[in-house]
Amino acid sequence: MKESTKMLLHYVTGLGIVIAGGVHLFTVFLTGPYLQNLAFSGGAYSVISVYRNIILAVTLEVLLLFVDYHALNGIRVILIEFHQGEAWERGVSWILIVAGILLLIYGTRTILIANALA
Amino acid sequence: MTEPLISELKKAFRGWFLPFKYNLERWAYALQRLSGIVVTGYFLAHIVETGNVVGGLSVWSVPSTDMARDIWTATFHFLDNPLFDTGLVVIGFMLAYHTINGIRLTLAEFGFLEGKASRPDFPYEAKSLSKIQRAIFWLSILFAVATAVYAINVFFGV
Repeated sequence: MKESTKMLLHYVTGLGIVIAGGVHLFTVFLTGPYLQNLAFSGGAYSVISVYRNIILAVTLEVLLLFVDYHALNGIRVILIEFHQGEAWERGVSWILIVAGILLLIYGTRTILIANALA
Repeated sequence: MTEPLISELKKAFRGWFLPFKYNLERWAYALQRLSGIVVTGYFLAHIVETGNVVGGLSVWSVPSTDMARDIWTATFHFLDNPLFDTGLVVIGFMLAYHTINGIRLTLAEFGFLEGKASRPDFPYEAKSLSKIQRAIFWLSILFAVATAVYAINVFFGV
């Protein structure tokens, strides 16, 4: 992938995070008492109610994907600004790609299982 | 290229995080980078933390709801203390700053708010940091402070 494509994706995911992250913060802080929203269940926007709501669960998955890319690409930019060289840049990219995929798998597991909890 | 990594690292950190004697743009850059690193750290912890909603690392099929509830409630109580709450206030500040300054950077990346190219004249102020960009930078600081105050009210308010 060209460097410019990676950075375009960085800006696109950044704007996506503003929207999806906005929805996420809204459901946690502005839909009811904060302690009720972070309780396992009991309120309309309690933890498990949010995961069971398909629209909010999809928003969380999108947010996970976008933040995953944006954060790890940000780290990549920092690391290749720190030191240059083909081996370094390739090594950094591969380690971050693997880390990103692992994070995505774990986060997606949480969303899928929480969505299916009885 | 022959420089040892440690001295390279020291030089890089000085350049990134000590923007003294430089203009506002450099401060914005240092803070954008610092806030990015802090929020990335929060993101990693948050994925691990929310993993406990379904029972933690070892759970890969739908567990009993009671077990998930117990583990999440224990996790929440473990994290619900002044130390982590203070951390969340800092993260709120960083996230708010990173958002608004990031919008400024996005606009600049696509050619907006750049100002017209012109002959450099004394005192050679950077043309790239136009008045509107300075305004957005200070707006991002204001928004960050407001978010921190809001977070203090949520976590420590009576």
